[in-house]
Amino acid sequence: MALRLGYFIGETTTNLRRNLLLTIAAISTAALSLMLLGLVMVGGEVLKKAVGSWEGKVELNVFLRDEITPEQTKELGAAVSSMPEVQTVFYESKTEAYEEYKRMFKESPALIENVDPEALPASYRIKLKNPNTAEAVSTRLEGRPGVDDVQFGGEAVKRFLRFANLMKTMVMVVTAILMAATTLLIANTIRLAVYARRKEIGIMKLVGATNWFIRVPFILEGVAEAAVGAAVATGMLTGAKFLLLDNAQKEFPFLPVTVGVDVLLQVFLVLLAVGVVIGTLGSFLALRRFLEV
Amino acid sequence: MIRLENVSKVYKDSVVALRDVSADIQKEEFVFLVGPSGSGKSTFMRLLLKEDEPSEGKIYVAGKDIGQLPNWRVPYLRRNIGCVFQDFKLLTNKTVRENVAFALEVIGRPRHVILERVPEMLDLVGLSHKLESRPDELSGGEQQRVSVARAMVNRPPILLADEPTGNLDPATSAEIMKLLERINESGTTVVMATHDHAIVDQSRKRVIELENGKIVRDQARGVYGMGGS
Repeated sequence: MALRLGYFIGETTTNLRRNLLLTIAAISTAALSLMLLGLVMVGGEVLKKAVGSWEGKVELNVFLRDEITPEQTKELGAAVSSMPEVQTVFYESKTEAYEEYKRMFKESPALIENVDPEALPASYRIKLKNPNTAEAVSTRLEGRPGVDDVQFGGEAVKRFLRFANLMKTMVMVVTAILMAATTLLIANTIRLAVYARRKEIGIMKLVGATNWFIRVPFILEGVAEAAVGAAVATGMLTGAKFLLLDNAQKEFPFLPVTVGVDVLLQVFLVLLAVGVVIGTLGSFLALRRFLEV
Repeated sequence: MIRLENVSKVYKDSVVALRDVSADIQKEEFVFLVGPSGSGKSTFMRLLLKEDEPSEGKIYVAGKDIGQLPNWRVPYLRRNIGCVFQDFKLLTNKTVRENVAFALEVIGRPRHVILERVPEMLDLVGLSHKLESRPDELSGGEQQRVSVARAMVNRPPILLADEPTGNLDPATSAEIMKLLERINESGTTVVMATHDHAIVDQSRKRVIELENGKIVRDQARGVYGMGGS
């Protein structure tokens, strides 16, 4: 067994070196397609987190007109708290709104200076028991005296999700195409390797080597190419995380776009598995035609 | 050891390669297969190796009907049959020793067996002094000896030789012939397809002559042509 293992590894490395250029081409397409797949996965993870954090925050903001009377304000507050869909409600006065605004942008003094404390409207902040009732509640509140506008994050989240899903589908289609290309490229490198060794293969068959014995080095070759591709893809994703994402996080701390190392590890394992499948598939594609006795 | 029962082989384009061929080759026999090009000698050999299926008839090798053999068993059939060819079929990027060892490696023989048998076999064919040479550094006769060593290193009970002296001068041919006879004497059944009149006439062994795919002669202690050509 030790001899066989040594034999297989030796044959595989020879094959990989013999067509270096083609090997590199196969590895790069594998890396590219797997990286896109990884991007989709990481993107999905980020999105899940982001949506999760937003969903908890689906809030109705009932902005009040400046000319609203204290009685109207009270009356509105009572009406809101009596609604069955409402979980909590609190009143944010103009000054509180300004304080909140100052806190949010404390690192951008320019933004604070440009806003007059009086410019921000007072509002009722409503937390709902179920985010899905936001639309119904908002229509009921919209016509009431003193109400200027009712806003809720749900619509924006929904639109964003639709967009994200579209993006995801598009990237998945590109990924699928690239994966098919990868498979064919790997098949092609294997075919060339087989061609280069046709004499050896002929002799192997003649002296009674089993088909599997003949196939294994070629299958390993395809798998090795795809596995290296998966490693390169993960490397690029990791680089992107540290160089781009982490810096972006520093610049825009309110964006919920953290990706942990655990996610990257998960992605790597999936890419490796997909890579192995692609590599095996490509090899079999190349070996199918010949190598029946 | 080898039995053909009414074997015919018709290729797709209805070229008939063998017609109703029956032959029985005993264990430890030495048989010449003679006949002009295209008479069916190569098809005969290919069928024994199950590189091709007969259109009709049955072939037995070592008592087994090879028509019943599932594909995955074919490599094991071939381990019982050593093969030598006119063009040697040696790997030019491997040394003599590696070429012979290759035949054992690829059927998964353990290292100690390889280390023991390869020098032994190369000694038998008289090449122990050329272990590290490459095939292109050897004469034709020496290359054919390597290929015989490769065919026999796994000790198969049958040796098929397809025009083994086709590329060699008469003196070298005679040496290869001597080697094959020695292998035969040590108990291996040898089937040798040849065009070489001198060798056949000299050896006086069994001759099966094919013409247009038919056996026209099966003679113990025969010569190449009836007419003495």
